[in-house]
Amino acid sequence: MSDAIVERDRALFGPLSETGRGFYLTVGVLGLAILWGAIAYAVQWSEGLGVTGLHQPVSWGFYVTNFVFFIGISHAGTLISAILRLSKAEWRRPITRMAEVITVMVLFIGAGQILVDLGRPDRMMNVIQYGRYQSPLLWDATSISAYLTASTFYLYLPLIPDIAILRDHLGKRRWLYAVLALGWRGTERQWKILNRAIAIMAVLVIPIAVSVHTVVSFVFSMTIQPMWHSTIFGPYFVAGAIFSGIAAIIVAMGIIRRIYRLQSYLKPIHFRYLGQLLLVMTLLWFYLTFAEYLTGYYGNEPEEMKVFWSKFTGPFWPFFWAMVVANFVIPMVLLVRLRHHAVGKTVVASAFVVVGMWLERFIIVVPTLSNPRLPFPEGQYWPTWIEWGELAASFGVFILFYVLFVKLFPIISIWEIQEGRDVGLKEVEERLLTYLPDGAADAAMPEREKVLT
Amino acid sequence: MNEPESAFDRSVRRTQWVLAGLAVLFVTGIVTWIAHLIRTAWRLGDVLSASIGISLVAIPVFLTLGGVIVYVFVGLLTDRSAR
Repeated sequence: MSDAIVERDRALFGPLSETGRGFYLTVGVLGLAILWGAIAYAVQWSEGLGVTGLHQPVSWGFYVTNFVFFIGISHAGTLISAILRLSKAEWRRPITRMAEVITVMVLFIGAGQILVDLGRPDRMMNVIQYGRYQSPLLWDATSISAYLTASTFYLYLPLIPDIAILRDHLGKRRWLYAVLALGWRGTERQWKILNRAIAIMAVLVIPIAVSVHTVVSFVFSMTIQPMWHSTIFGPYFVAGAIFSGIAAIIVAMGIIRRIYRLQSYLKPIHFRYLGQLLLVMTLLWFYLTFAEYLTGYYGNEPEEMKVFWSKFTGPFWPFFWAMVVANFVIPMVLLVRLRHHAVGKTVVASAFVVVGMWLERFIIVVPTLSNPRLPFPEGQYWPTWIEWGELAASFGVFILFYVLFVKLFPIISIWEIQEGRDVGLKEVEERLLTYLPDGAADAAMPEREKVLT
Repeated sequence: MNEPESAFDRSVRRTQWVLAGLAVLFVTGIVTWIAHLIRTAWRLGDVLSASIGISLVAIPVFLTLGGVIVYVFVGLLTDRSAR
Protein backbone atom coordinates (compact mmCIF):
# COMPACT_ATOMS: atom_id res chain seq x y z
CA MET A 1 0.00 0.00 0.00
CA SER A 2 1.47 3.33 -0.99
CA ASP A 3 2.11 6.26 1.33
CA ALA A 4 -0.48 8.27 -0.63
CA ILE A 5 -3.19 5.80 0.35
CA VAL A 6 -2.05 5.87 3.98
CA GLU A 7 -2.20 9.66 3.80
CA ARG A 8 -5.78 9.44 2.59
CA ASP A 9 -6.85 7.57 5.75
CA ARG A 10 -4.60 9.46 8.13
CA ALA A 11 -7.51 10.01 10.53
CA LEU A 12 -7.54 6.28 11.23
CA PHE A 13 -3.89 6.36 12.33
CA GLY A 14 -4.47 9.24 14.74
CA PRO A 15 -5.45 7.17 17.79
CA LEU A 16 -2.43 4.89 17.20
CA SER A 17 0.25 7.53 16.95
CA GLU A 18 -0.98 10.33 19.21
CA THR A 19 -1.63 10.01 22.93
CA GLY A 20 -3.36 12.94 24.54
CA ARG A 21 -4.07 13.80 28.16
CA GLY A 22 -7.57 12.38 27.81
CA PHE A 23 -6.11 8.91 27.30
CA TYR A 24 -4.19 8.96 30.58
CA LEU A 25 -7.14 10.49 32.41
CA THR A 26 -9.47 7.76 31.10
CA VAL A 27 -7.01 5.03 32.01
CA GLY A 28 -6.62 6.56 35.48
CA VAL A 29 -10.36 6.67 36.16
CA LEU A 30 -10.85 3.14 34.84
CA GLY A 31 -7.87 2.02 36.93
CA LEU A 32 -9.64 3.32 40.05
CA ALA A 33 -12.79 1.35 39.20
CA ILE A 34 -10.70 -1.77 38.62
CA LEU A 35 -8.83 -1.19 41.89
CA TRP A 36 -12.17 -1.02 43.71
CA GLY A 37 -13.13 -4.36 42.16
CA ALA A 38 -9.75 -5.90 43.01
CA ILE A 39 -10.02 -4.85 46.66
CA ALA A 40 -13.60 -6.14 46.78
CA TYR A 41 -12.52 -9.47 45.36
CA ALA A 42 -9.60 -9.74 47.77
CA VAL A 43 -12.05 -9.27 50.67
CA GLN A 44 -14.45 -11.80 49.18
CA TRP A 45 -11.60 -14.29 48.63
CA SER A 46 -10.49 -14.07 52.23
CA GLU A 47 -13.93 -13.83 53.92
CA GLY A 48 -16.07 -15.88 51.52
CA LEU A 49 -19.33 -15.03 49.76
CA GLY A 50 -20.88 -14.07 53.11
CA VAL A 51 -19.58 -10.52 52.58
CA THR A 52 -21.83 -10.16 49.55
CA GLY A 53 -25.61 -9.83 49.50
CA LEU A 54 -25.87 -13.42 48.25
CA HIS A 55 -27.61 -15.56 50.85
CA GLN A 56 -30.25 -18.27 50.76
CA PRO A 57 -32.59 -18.32 48.95
CA VAL A 58 -31.11 -15.63 46.65
CA SER A 59 -27.79 -17.22 45.76
CA TRP A 60 -27.48 -15.54 42.34
CA GLY A 61 -27.37 -11.76 42.15
CA PHE A 62 -25.19 -9.20 40.41
CA TYR A 63 -22.56 -11.70 39.27
CA VAL A 64 -24.96 -13.91 37.34
CA THR A 65 -26.83 -10.84 36.09
CA ASN A 66 -23.52 -9.47 34.78
CA PHE A 67 -22.65 -12.84 33.27
CA VAL A 68 -25.87 -13.02 31.25
CA PHE A 69 -25.66 -9.33 30.37
CA PHE A 70 -22.07 -9.40 29.09
CA ILE A 71 -22.50 -12.66 27.21
CA GLY A 72 -25.57 -11.07 25.62
CA ILE A 73 -23.67 -7.96 24.55
CA SER A 74 -21.13 -10.23 22.90
CA HIS A 75 -23.69 -11.11 20.25
CA ALA A 76 -23.24 -7.67 18.88
CA GLY A 77 -20.17 -8.19 17.35
CA THR A 78 -19.70 -11.35 15.66
CA LEU A 79 -23.29 -11.93 14.81
CA ILE A 80 -23.93 -8.48 13.36
CA SER A 81 -20.56 -8.38 11.67
CA ALA A 82 -20.92 -11.89 10.24
CA ILE A 83 -24.44 -11.31 8.95
CA LEU A 84 -23.50 -8.01 7.34
CA ARG A 85 -20.37 -9.54 5.84
CA LEU A 86 -22.19 -12.56 4.44
CA SER A 87 -24.97 -10.43 3.01
CA LYS A 88 -22.32 -8.15 1.49
CA ALA A 89 -23.86 -5.06 3.06
CA GLU A 90 -21.40 -2.38 1.94
CA TRP A 91 -22.23 -0.01 4.80
CA ARG A 92 -20.72 -2.54 7.23
CA ARG A 93 -17.14 -1.56 6.41
CA PRO A 94 -16.45 1.06 9.13
CA ILE A 95 -18.38 -0.74 11.87
CA THR A 96 -17.52 -4.44 11.74
CA ARG A 97 -14.30 -4.21 13.71
CA MET A 98 -15.84 -2.17 16.51
CA ALA A 99 -18.47 -4.86 16.84
CA GLU A 100 -15.97 -7.72 16.75
CA VAL A 101 -13.83 -6.09 19.44
CA ILE A 102 -16.85 -5.70 21.72
CA THR A 103 -17.56 -9.40 21.35
CA VAL A 104 -14.12 -10.59 22.38
CA MET A 105 -13.74 -8.14 25.28
CA VAL A 106 -17.12 -8.82 26.86
CA LEU A 107 -16.83 -12.56 26.49
CA PHE A 108 -13.75 -12.50 28.70
CA ILE A 109 -15.55 -10.34 31.22
CA GLY A 110 -18.76 -12.38 31.10
CA ALA A 111 -16.92 -15.65 31.64
CA GLY A 112 -14.93 -13.99 34.44
CA GLN A 113 -18.16 -13.29 36.36
CA ILE A 114 -18.59 -17.00 36.97
CA LEU A 115 -15.13 -17.20 38.49
CA VAL A 116 -15.97 -14.26 40.76
CA ASP A 117 -19.23 -15.96 41.73
CA LEU A 118 -17.50 -19.15 42.89
CA GLY A 119 -17.80 -19.65 46.63
CA ARG A 120 -14.62 -21.70 46.73
CA PRO A 121 -12.42 -20.59 43.84
CA ASP A 122 -9.63 -22.77 45.24
CA ARG A 123 -11.68 -25.77 44.10
CA MET A 124 -12.11 -24.56 40.54
CA MET A 125 -9.79 -27.22 39.17
CA ASN A 126 -12.32 -29.83 40.31
CA VAL A 127 -14.73 -28.53 37.66
CA ILE A 128 -12.12 -29.12 34.99
CA GLN A 129 -11.04 -32.47 36.34
CA TYR A 130 -14.41 -33.94 37.30
CA GLY A 131 -16.90 -31.84 35.32
CA ARG A 132 -20.22 -33.54 34.53
CA TYR A 133 -21.77 -32.98 31.14
CA GLN A 134 -25.25 -33.48 32.56
CA SER A 135 -24.99 -29.96 33.95
CA PRO A 136 -26.06 -27.07 31.69
CA LEU A 137 -23.37 -25.04 33.47
CA LEU A 138 -20.75 -27.14 31.75
CA TRP A 139 -22.56 -26.81 28.41
CA ASP A 140 -22.17 -23.10 28.99
CA ALA A 141 -18.45 -23.42 29.63
CA THR A 142 -18.05 -25.42 26.42
CA SER A 143 -20.13 -23.18 24.18
CA ILE A 144 -18.56 -20.00 25.55
CA SER A 145 -15.08 -21.47 24.97
CA ALA A 146 -16.04 -22.25 21.37
CA TYR A 147 -17.49 -18.77 20.89
CA LEU A 148 -14.50 -17.06 22.46
CA THR A 149 -12.09 -19.01 20.27
CA ALA A 150 -14.14 -18.40 17.14
CA SER A 151 -14.74 -14.72 17.74
CA THR A 152 -11.12 -14.02 18.71
CA PHE A 153 -9.99 -15.61 15.48
CA TYR A 154 -12.76 -13.85 13.57
CA LEU A 155 -11.51 -10.53 14.96
CA TYR A 156 -7.90 -11.38 14.16
CA LEU A 157 -8.34 -12.50 10.54
CA PRO A 158 -9.51 -9.19 9.06
CA LEU A 159 -6.92 -7.42 11.23
CA ILE A 160 -3.97 -9.09 9.48
CA PRO A 161 -3.75 -6.78 6.42
CA ASP A 162 -4.16 -3.74 8.69
CA ILE A 163 -1.43 -4.97 11.03
CA ALA A 164 0.83 -5.30 7.99
CA ILE A 165 0.06 -1.67 7.09
CA LEU A 166 1.01 -0.63 10.63
CA ARG A 167 4.19 -2.73 10.46
CA ASP A 168 5.23 -0.98 7.25
CA HIS A 169 4.11 2.57 7.98
CA LEU A 170 3.62 3.34 11.67
CA GLY A 171 7.26 3.19 12.83
CA LYS A 172 6.22 2.09 16.33
CA ARG A 173 5.87 -1.34 17.98
CA ARG A 174 7.39 -2.88 14.84
CA TRP A 175 8.18 -6.26 16.41
CA LEU A 176 4.63 -6.71 17.68
CA TYR A 177 3.10 -5.82 14.33
CA ALA A 178 5.65 -7.92 12.42
CA VAL A 179 4.76 -10.99 14.50
CA LEU A 180 1.01 -10.51 14.26
CA ALA A 181 1.07 -9.73 10.52
CA LEU A 182 2.11 -13.37 9.86
CA GLY A 183 4.37 -12.33 6.98
CA TRP A 184 1.51 -10.63 5.16
CA ARG A 185 2.60 -9.16 1.82
CA GLY A 186 -0.76 -9.05 0.10
CA THR A 187 0.02 -11.73 -2.49
CA GLU A 188 -2.79 -13.27 -4.46
CA ARG A 189 -2.42 -16.55 -2.54
CA GLN A 190 -2.54 -14.77 0.83
CA TRP A 191 -5.69 -12.88 -0.14
CA LYS A 192 -7.29 -16.14 -1.28
CA ILE A 193 -6.46 -17.83 2.04
CA LEU A 194 -7.65 -14.88 4.08
CA ASN A 195 -10.92 -14.37 2.22
CA ARG A 196 -11.72 -18.07 2.36
CA ALA A 197 -10.98 -18.24 6.11
CA ILE A 198 -13.07 -15.12 6.82
CA ALA A 199 -15.98 -16.60 4.85
CA ILE A 200 -15.77 -19.92 6.75
CA MET A 201 -15.57 -18.15 10.11
CA ALA A 202 -18.48 -15.83 9.25
CA VAL A 203 -20.64 -18.88 8.58
CA LEU A 204 -19.38 -20.74 11.64
CA VAL A 205 -19.78 -17.98 14.24
CA ILE A 206 -23.47 -17.39 13.57
CA PRO A 207 -24.73 -20.79 14.82
CA ILE A 208 -22.13 -20.74 17.60
CA ALA A 209 -23.35 -17.32 18.73
CA VAL A 210 -26.99 -18.45 18.69
CA SER A 211 -26.10 -21.63 20.58
CA VAL A 212 -24.19 -19.70 23.25
CA HIS A 213 -27.12 -17.63 24.36
CA THR A 214 -29.55 -20.50 24.02
CA VAL A 215 -27.31 -22.48 26.32
CA VAL A 216 -27.09 -19.54 28.73
CA SER A 217 -30.89 -19.60 28.87
CA PHE A 218 -30.79 -23.37 29.56
CA VAL A 219 -29.05 -22.62 32.87
CA PHE A 220 -32.39 -21.14 33.94
CA SER A 221 -34.99 -22.98 31.88
CA MET A 222 -33.68 -26.48 32.65
CA THR A 223 -34.73 -25.92 36.27
CA ILE A 224 -38.38 -25.95 37.35
CA GLN A 225 -38.12 -22.62 39.12
CA PRO A 226 -41.13 -20.32 38.61
CA MET A 227 -40.78 -18.05 35.56
CA TRP A 228 -37.56 -19.77 34.50
CA HIS A 229 -39.00 -23.04 33.24
CA SER A 230 -40.02 -21.70 29.86
CA THR A 231 -39.85 -23.09 26.35
CA ILE A 232 -39.25 -19.69 24.75
CA PHE A 233 -36.30 -18.76 26.98
CA GLY A 234 -33.84 -19.72 24.21
CA PRO A 235 -35.17 -17.34 21.54
CA TYR A 236 -36.02 -14.76 24.22
CA PHE A 237 -32.41 -14.70 25.39
CA VAL A 238 -31.01 -14.65 21.85
CA ALA A 239 -33.31 -11.78 20.83
CA GLY A 240 -32.36 -9.87 23.99
CA ALA A 241 -28.70 -10.53 23.31
CA ILE A 242 -28.84 -9.21 19.75
CA PHE A 243 -30.86 -6.23 20.99
CA SER A 244 -28.33 -5.27 23.67
CA GLY A 245 -25.47 -6.05 21.28
CA ILE A 246 -26.68 -3.62 18.63
CA ALA A 247 -27.20 -0.99 21.31
CA ALA A 248 -23.67 -1.50 22.60
CA ILE A 249 -22.21 -1.10 19.09
CA ILE A 250 -24.12 2.15 18.55
CA VAL A 251 -22.93 3.57 21.88
CA ALA A 252 -19.33 2.58 21.07
CA MET A 253 -19.65 4.12 17.58
CA GLY A 254 -21.04 7.34 19.02
CA ILE A 255 -18.22 7.69 21.55
CA ILE A 256 -15.41 6.76 19.13
CA ARG A 257 -16.79 9.02 16.41
CA ARG A 258 -16.75 11.98 18.77
CA ILE A 259 -13.48 11.37 20.62
CA TYR A 260 -11.38 10.45 17.57
CA ARG A 261 -13.21 12.80 15.19
CA LEU A 262 -14.15 10.05 12.75
CA GLN A 263 -17.28 11.77 11.46
CA SER A 264 -16.25 11.18 7.86
CA TYR A 265 -16.15 7.41 8.43
CA LEU A 266 -19.06 6.92 10.83
CA LYS A 267 -21.79 8.82 9.06
CA PRO A 268 -25.39 9.43 10.06
CA ILE A 269 -26.44 6.75 7.59
CA HIS A 270 -24.61 4.09 9.60
CA PHE A 271 -26.49 5.18 12.71
CA ARG A 272 -29.74 5.30 10.77
CA TYR A 273 -29.36 1.74 9.47
CA LEU A 274 -28.35 0.38 12.85
CA GLY A 275 -31.12 2.44 14.45
CA GLN A 276 -33.63 0.75 12.19
CA LEU A 277 -32.27 -2.65 13.19
CA LEU A 278 -32.52 -1.58 16.82
CA LEU A 279 -36.13 -0.55 16.28
CA VAL A 280 -36.94 -3.98 14.85
CA MET A 281 -35.25 -5.62 17.83
CA THR A 282 -37.16 -3.32 20.21
CA LEU A 283 -40.42 -4.62 18.80
CA LEU A 284 -39.23 -8.22 18.80
CA TRP A 285 -37.98 -7.93 22.37
CA PHE A 286 -41.30 -6.44 23.45
CA TYR A 287 -43.25 -9.19 21.74
CA LEU A 288 -41.17 -11.97 23.31
CA THR A 289 -41.39 -10.32 26.75
CA PHE A 290 -45.15 -10.05 26.32
CA ALA A 291 -45.37 -13.70 25.22
CA GLU A 292 -43.21 -14.82 28.14
CA TYR A 293 -45.39 -13.05 30.74
CA LEU A 294 -48.66 -13.87 28.97
CA THR A 295 -48.02 -17.62 29.09
CA GLY A 296 -47.16 -17.42 32.80
CA TYR A 297 -50.24 -15.31 33.54
CA TYR A 298 -52.53 -17.56 31.49
CA GLY A 299 -51.29 -20.68 33.34
CA ASN A 300 -52.01 -18.90 36.64
CA GLU A 301 -49.86 -21.32 38.59
CA PRO A 302 -49.61 -19.97 42.18
CA GLU A 303 -45.81 -20.09 42.42
CA GLU A 304 -45.43 -18.45 39.02
CA MET A 305 -47.92 -15.73 39.91
CA LYS A 306 -46.02 -14.86 43.07
CA VAL A 307 -42.96 -14.05 40.99
CA PHE A 308 -45.12 -12.40 38.32
CA TRP A 309 -46.71 -9.95 40.76
CA SER A 310 -43.45 -9.33 42.58
CA LYS A 311 -42.22 -7.89 39.29
CA PHE A 312 -45.35 -6.00 38.27
CA THR A 313 -46.45 -4.47 41.57
CA GLY A 314 -44.24 -6.03 44.26
CA PRO A 315 -40.76 -5.14 45.46
CA PHE A 316 -39.25 -5.36 41.98
CA TRP A 317 -41.70 -3.02 40.24
CA PRO A 318 -39.26 -0.09 39.89
CA PHE A 319 -36.77 -2.31 38.06
CA PHE A 320 -39.43 -3.96 35.91
CA TRP A 321 -41.08 -0.73 34.77
CA ALA A 322 -37.74 1.02 34.33
CA MET A 323 -36.80 -1.88 32.05
CA VAL A 324 -39.98 -1.44 30.00
CA VAL A 325 -39.40 2.30 29.67
CA ALA A 326 -35.70 1.92 28.77
CA ASN A 327 -36.12 -1.02 26.39
CA PHE A 328 -39.38 -0.11 24.72
CA VAL A 329 -40.89 3.31 25.36
CA ILE A 330 -37.78 5.45 24.87
CA PRO A 331 -36.40 3.54 21.85
CA MET A 332 -39.82 3.62 20.19
CA VAL A 333 -40.14 7.37 20.65
CA LEU A 334 -36.61 8.09 19.46
CA LEU A 335 -36.19 5.58 16.66
CA VAL A 336 -39.48 5.86 14.81
CA ARG A 337 -38.26 8.88 12.87
CA LEU A 338 -34.57 9.01 12.10
CA ARG A 339 -34.53 11.47 9.26
CA HIS A 340 -33.00 14.20 11.44
CA HIS A 341 -30.46 13.91 14.31
CA ALA A 342 -29.99 10.19 13.62
CA VAL A 343 -26.70 10.04 15.53
CA GLY A 344 -27.95 11.66 18.73
CA LYS A 345 -31.25 9.80 18.76
CA THR A 346 -29.77 6.35 18.16
CA VAL A 347 -26.97 6.84 20.70
CA VAL A 348 -29.39 8.02 23.41
CA ALA A 349 -31.86 5.21 22.66
CA SER A 350 -29.01 2.69 22.71
CA ALA A 351 -27.67 3.93 26.03
CA PHE A 352 -31.13 3.39 27.50
CA VAL A 353 -31.33 -0.08 25.95
CA VAL A 354 -27.97 -1.06 27.48
CA VAL A 355 -29.24 -0.05 30.93
CA GLY A 356 -32.64 -1.61 30.26
CA MET A 357 -31.14 -4.91 29.21
CA TRP A 358 -29.02 -5.06 32.36
CA LEU A 359 -32.24 -4.52 34.33
CA GLU A 360 -33.93 -7.25 32.27
CA ARG A 361 -31.21 -9.73 33.23
CA PHE A 362 -31.54 -8.67 36.88
CA ILE A 363 -35.34 -9.04 36.71
CA ILE A 364 -34.95 -12.56 35.35
CA VAL A 365 -32.37 -13.72 37.91
CA VAL A 366 -33.35 -12.27 41.28
CA PRO A 367 -37.18 -12.25 41.68
CA THR A 368 -37.45 -15.99 40.97
CA LEU A 369 -34.88 -16.81 43.64
CA SER A 370 -36.53 -14.39 46.07
CA ASN A 371 -39.78 -16.39 45.73
CA PRO A 372 -38.63 -20.02 45.69
CA ARG A 373 -40.93 -22.86 44.69
CA LEU A 374 -39.87 -24.98 47.65
CA PRO A 375 -41.25 -24.01 51.08
CA PHE A 376 -38.34 -21.77 52.02
CA PRO A 377 -38.93 -18.31 53.41
CA GLU A 378 -38.94 -15.52 50.85
CA GLY A 379 -35.69 -13.60 50.57
CA GLN A 380 -34.50 -10.15 49.65
CA TYR A 381 -31.32 -9.29 47.83
CA TRP A 382 -29.32 -6.21 48.65
CA PRO A 383 -25.94 -6.06 46.94
CA THR A 384 -23.09 -4.88 49.16
CA TRP A 385 -20.15 -2.67 48.21
CA ILE A 386 -18.39 -5.86 47.10
CA GLU A 387 -20.83 -6.51 44.26
CA TRP A 388 -20.97 -2.82 43.32
CA GLY A 389 -17.17 -2.90 43.17
CA GLU A 390 -17.20 -5.93 40.89
CA LEU A 391 -19.81 -4.27 38.68
CA ALA A 392 -17.72 -1.09 38.41
CA ALA A 393 -14.58 -3.12 37.74
CA SER A 394 -16.30 -5.20 35.06
CA PHE A 395 -17.34 -2.12 33.12
CA GLY A 396 -13.94 -0.59 33.87
CA VAL A 397 -12.07 -3.58 32.46
CA PHE A 398 -14.30 -3.63 29.38
CA ILE A 399 -13.76 0.06 28.61
CA LEU A 400 -10.04 -0.16 29.43
CA PHE A 401 -9.55 -3.13 27.08
CA TYR A 402 -11.42 -1.25 24.40
CA VAL A 403 -9.36 1.91 24.87
CA LEU A 404 -6.11 -0.10 24.75
CA PHE A 405 -7.24 -1.91 21.61
CA VAL A 406 -7.93 1.42 19.92
CA LYS A 407 -4.43 2.52 20.95
CA LEU A 408 -2.79 -0.54 19.38
CA PHE A 409 -4.91 -1.38 16.33
CA PRO A 410 -7.10 0.56 13.87
CA ILE A 411 -10.66 0.48 15.17
CA ILE A 412 -11.92 0.98 11.62
CA SER A 413 -10.63 -1.52 9.09
CA ILE A 414 -8.29 0.41 6.80
CA TRP A 415 -8.07 -2.19 4.05
CA GLU A 416 -11.82 -2.75 3.99
CA ILE A 417 -12.40 0.98 3.56
CA GLN A 418 -9.82 1.00 0.74
CA GLU A 419 -11.45 -2.03 -0.83
CA GLY A 420 -14.83 -0.32 -0.62
CA ARG A 421 -13.46 2.69 -2.48
CA ASP A 422 -11.48 0.71 -5.06
CA VAL A 423 -13.69 -2.22 -5.97
CA GLY A 424 -16.83 -1.91 -3.85
CA LEU A 425 -18.67 0.46 -6.17
CA LYS A 426 -18.02 -1.68 -9.23
CA GLU A 427 -18.91 -4.87 -7.36
CA VAL A 428 -22.19 -3.45 -6.08
CA GLU A 429 -23.14 -2.41 -9.58
CA GLU A 430 -22.34 -5.85 -10.99
CA ARG A 431 -24.11 -7.59 -8.11
CA LEU A 432 -27.18 -5.40 -8.53
CA LEU A 433 -27.42 -6.42 -12.15
CA THR A 434 -27.33 -10.09 -11.17
CA TYR A 435 -30.29 -9.54 -8.80
CA LEU A 436 -32.46 -7.99 -11.49
CA PRO A 437 -34.65 -10.17 -13.72
CA ASP A 438 -33.18 -11.56 -16.95
CA GLY A 439 -32.86 -8.95 -19.63
CA ALA A 440 -32.78 -6.09 -17.17
CA ALA A 441 -29.00 -6.12 -17.19
CA ASP A 442 -28.87 -5.75 -20.98
CA ALA A 443 -31.56 -3.10 -20.91
CA ALA A 444 -29.70 -1.21 -18.22
CA MET A 445 -26.41 -1.32 -20.10
CA PRO A 446 -27.04 1.39 -22.71
CA GLU A 447 -28.47 3.68 -20.04
CA ARG A 448 -25.43 3.11 -17.86
CA GLU A 449 -23.09 3.72 -20.72
CA LYS A 450 -24.97 6.92 -21.48
CA VAL A 451 -24.53 8.05 -17.90
CA LEU A 452 -20.86 7.11 -17.87
CA THR A 453 -20.14 8.91 -21.10
CA MET B 1 19.14 -15.34 -4.60
CA ASN B 2 17.42 -15.00 -1.22
CA GLU B 3 18.84 -12.45 1.19
CA PRO B 4 19.95 -13.90 4.54
CA GLU B 5 17.37 -13.40 7.29
CA SER B 6 18.23 -10.79 9.90
CA ALA B 7 18.09 -11.57 13.63
CA PHE B 8 14.90 -9.47 13.79
CA ASP B 9 13.23 -11.50 11.03
CA ARG B 10 14.33 -14.76 12.62
CA SER B 11 12.87 -13.83 16.00
CA VAL B 12 9.62 -12.70 14.34
CA ARG B 13 9.33 -15.93 12.36
CA ARG B 14 10.05 -18.11 15.40
CA THR B 15 7.46 -16.26 17.46
CA GLN B 16 4.89 -16.66 14.69
CA TRP B 17 5.40 -20.42 14.64
CA VAL B 18 5.20 -20.51 18.45
CA LEU B 19 1.87 -18.65 18.22
CA ALA B 20 0.63 -21.15 15.64
CA GLY B 21 1.70 -23.99 17.93
CA LEU B 22 -0.05 -22.42 20.92
CA ALA B 23 -3.29 -21.99 18.95
CA VAL B 24 -3.21 -25.65 17.92
CA LEU B 25 -2.32 -26.69 21.48
CA PHE B 26 -5.27 -24.71 22.82
CA VAL B 27 -7.79 -26.36 20.50
CA THR B 28 -6.25 -29.80 21.05
CA GLY B 29 -6.34 -29.19 24.80
CA ILE B 30 -10.07 -28.47 24.76
CA VAL B 31 -10.82 -31.53 22.63
CA THR B 32 -8.70 -33.65 24.99
CA TRP B 33 -10.54 -32.18 27.98
CA ILE B 34 -13.92 -33.07 26.46
CA ALA B 35 -12.67 -36.59 25.74
CA HIS B 36 -11.46 -36.79 29.36
CA LEU B 37 -14.95 -35.87 30.59
CA ILE B 38 -16.46 -38.66 28.48
CA ARG B 39 -13.92 -41.10 29.92
CA THR B 40 -14.67 -39.93 33.47
CA ALA B 41 -18.42 -40.34 32.90
CA TRP B 42 -17.80 -43.83 31.50
CA ARG B 43 -15.51 -44.83 34.36
CA LEU B 44 -18.01 -43.62 36.98
CA GLY B 45 -21.08 -44.94 35.11
CA ASP B 46 -22.36 -41.36 35.20
CA VAL B 47 -24.89 -40.84 32.34
CA LEU B 48 -22.45 -41.42 29.53
CA SER B 49 -25.10 -40.55 26.93
CA ALA B 50 -25.18 -36.88 28.05
CA SER B 51 -21.42 -36.53 27.73
CA ILE B 52 -21.39 -38.18 24.31
CA GLY B 53 -24.38 -36.13 23.12
CA ILE B 54 -22.78 -32.80 23.98
CA SER B 55 -19.38 -33.92 22.71
CA LEU B 56 -20.86 -34.88 19.34
CA VAL B 57 -21.60 -31.20 18.81
CA ALA B 58 -18.65 -29.66 20.63
CA ILE B 59 -15.74 -31.71 19.29
CA PRO B 60 -16.47 -31.14 15.56
CA VAL B 61 -16.86 -27.40 16.21
CA PHE B 62 -13.45 -27.21 17.87
CA LEU B 63 -11.85 -29.40 15.20
CA THR B 64 -13.26 -27.13 12.48
CA LEU B 65 -11.92 -24.09 14.32
CA GLY B 66 -8.55 -25.80 14.67
CA GLY B 67 -8.59 -26.63 10.95
CA VAL B 68 -9.22 -23.01 9.95
CA ILE B 69 -6.51 -21.78 12.34
CA VAL B 70 -3.95 -24.21 10.91
CA TYR B 71 -5.02 -23.34 7.34
CA VAL B 72 -4.43 -19.62 7.93
CA PHE B 73 -1.22 -19.87 9.94
CA VAL B 74 0.46 -22.42 7.68
CA GLY B 75 -0.90 -20.84 4.50
CA LEU B 76 0.31 -17.34 5.32
CA LEU B 77 3.58 -18.27 6.98
CA THR B 78 4.72 -20.57 4.18
CA ASP B 79 3.68 -18.30 1.32
CA ARG B 80 6.66 -17.57 -0.91
CA SER B 81 4.77 -16.39 -3.97
CA ALA B 82 5.56 -13.08 -5.60
CA ARG B 83 3.36 -10.11 -4.91
